Amino acid sequence: MNGKIVQNGDKITISGRFSVQDLAEVTAIFEKTIEKNIVLDFNNCISLDACIAVRIWSIVESRRSAGDTVKFQGTNQDIQAIFDRFQAIDDRPVVPVEKHTLLYNFEDIGDKVLATWNTVYGLATFAGKAFIALFTGKVRWSIIAYYMEQSGVMAIPIVITLNWLMGVVLGYQAGYQMSQFGGELFMPALLAYSICWEIGPMMTAVLVAGRSGSAFAAEIGTMKVRQEVDALEVMGFNIYGYLVTPKMVALFVVMPLLITAANFAGMAGGLTAGGIFLKMPAVVYIEAVGKALIPFDLYWGIVKGFFYSTIISVTGSYMGTRVRGGPASVGKATTSAVVVSIFLVILVDALLSLLFIHIRPGLSI
Amino acid sequence: MKENIMQLESLTGGYDGKIVLKDVNIDIHKGEIVVIVGKSGCGKSTTLNYMLGLQRPYSGRVLFDGIDIWRDQKTLNAARRRWGVLFQSGALLGNYTVVENVMLPLMEFTDLTKAEMMDVALSKLEVVGMEHAAYENPLEISGGMQKRAGLARAMVLDPEVLFFDEPSAGLDPVTSAELDETIQNVNRSLGTTLIIVTHELASIFAISDRVIMLDPEEFGVIATGSARDLADNSQDPRVRAFFGRKIGE
Ligand SMILES: Nc1ncnc2c1ncn2[C@@H]1O[C@H](COP(=O)(O)OP(=O)(O)OP(=O)(O)O)[C@@H](O)[C@H]1O
Ligand SMILES: [Mg+2]
Repeated sequence: MNGKIVQNGDKITISGRFSVQDLAEVTAIFEKTIEKNIVLDFNNCISLDACIAVRIWSIVESRRSAGDTVKFQGTNQDIQAIFDRFQAIDDRPVVPVEKHTLLYNFEDIGDKVLATWNTVYGLATFAGKAFIALFTGKVRWSIIAYYMEQSGVMAIPIVITLNWLMGVVLGYQAGYQMSQFGGELFMPALLAYSICWEIGPMMTAVLVAGRSGSAFAAEIGTMKVRQEVDALEVMGFNIYGYLVTPKMVALFVVMPLLITAANFAGMAGGLTAGGIFLKMPAVVYIEAVGKALIPFDLYWGIVKGFFYSTIISVTGSYMGTRVRGGPASVGKATTSAVVVSIFLVILVDALLSLLFIHIRPGLSI
Repeated sequence: MKENIMQLESLTGGYDGKIVLKDVNIDIHKGEIVVIVGKSGCGKSTTLNYMLGLQRPYSGRVLFDGIDIWRDQKTLNAARRRWGVLFQSGALLGNYTVVENVMLPLMEFTDLTKAEMMDVALSKLEVVGMEHAAYENPLEISGGMQKRAGLARAMVLDPEVLFFDEPSAGLDPVTSAELDETIQNVNRSLGTTLIIVTHELASIFAISDRVIMLDPEEFGVIATGSARDLADNSQDPRVRAFFGRKIGE
């Protein structure tokens, strides 16, 4: 260092040029000074590093608030400007910093409720506009075909594999429990019901939400960030018709097919489990399933598919259009697309189950 | 009195309730080249958004050819067919080639055959010197090339009004001057009205008929007039500060 700081009674003389390395020394000198009235002499000081200056400033501030007086002397223009700026910053009203606590306070709960309401309202409005575009707009076959391939054809392997595995697991679990009291022959029926009524459609919805819902949100979100959506809009395109309805139509067509495939894959899983773990001949299994199921049970998955596909395509697209600002918000949009669509799928599933019990032939409570 | 093609009438607007423009009045005359200038964050892009009907004003009106663009969706769509826009980033669609991007408006709004559309698009690309990159992916060409391709797309329907958000940002001086020339040619040959946001003093002096200056503290217009006039005669320190820079800074 080639700056010098000297204490002499109530006077601290600061001279030369200081930099950030001198922080400790400067602090020490101030701590040594016990006088109540201090004069800071900057007459021979050329420049101050911002870190040194802020340390001096904060010491001065705390001394002053403790009742001491501190005088600045001989500050040149540059140094005075630094302290003036600190003074101005201190005079500014304090902006409360948002606190992140584990527990929400009431205000946060209010904000959350409001945000949720805004999402629900926005989603409903969006869905309305999308449906209007669907029934009044052009049909864009080539785009629809593209999404059918992306969301349908390419999803077949994963949908079949996972549902088959689910079938194996459920078949084994159910068969094991039932064999405790000699009821393993009921396993095929139980499995076929749970697959066709719930597991098949639900697993498929979760997979499609994860694969395609997120992709829709990311695609539209990225276009939004790159101003492509604005460009389409001012070129006069109906962005619902151009960006949303092809995705809706594509999923509407492929989802029921995927669910049907999922159902058969799941039941095949049960067959596998029965054969391996329960030594159940395939004929027995198939015959039992055939007795238990009626065509309605398979149509039911198709009905669910229509609902789920609409939820996933509309929610994914909506979350994409909500992207504002930079690329980081695209990530958030894909996350909400998946979370919100799975939430809505489960909600609708619950409602449909109530209906199901009343309309399925041969089922009564 | 010149005929107005685009007007903002005591328009107030912003984002999420935060005011950016307050009680702003702007008249754009038919066939003129208007440049909107101002400090970063003063609301130039926002002003364009309002003119383009991408945001709905809190209050006030946006008139195109004397008609409120927000009267109904049909009016807005009809107005948009008569506009062309070059966005700050070019905003080309990544899943089409350059020439397909230029063809997009034609596909949507005309019943030209594919071959005819191709000819129109290629000729527009030639105007901006981009015919050699017609079949490239827009994400794989340089920023300046994206801008020029965006310009070709904006011009493809021979719009009455062309909007530009910082056409020369990120371009070298030569390309930027070429772009200026292209823009001027369009104005001269087709009588197209041009509304341009830019910081480039050189192009402001070269092409503008009129300059409108916005300021963030005033939430609106603080000066309007020809570039020469503002530069030489304005008493406003903010205007002087803007034009006081040396050309090219
Ligand atoms: N999407 C948005 N959401 C919230 N605020 C925004 C948004 N876009 C712009 N703003 C705010 O509006 C004000 C004006 O922004 P605008 O983009 O119009 O400025 P600009 O004059 O175009 O600036 P630049 O020269 O940097 O492009 C700024 O204060 C900005 O923070
Ligand atoms: Mg801008």
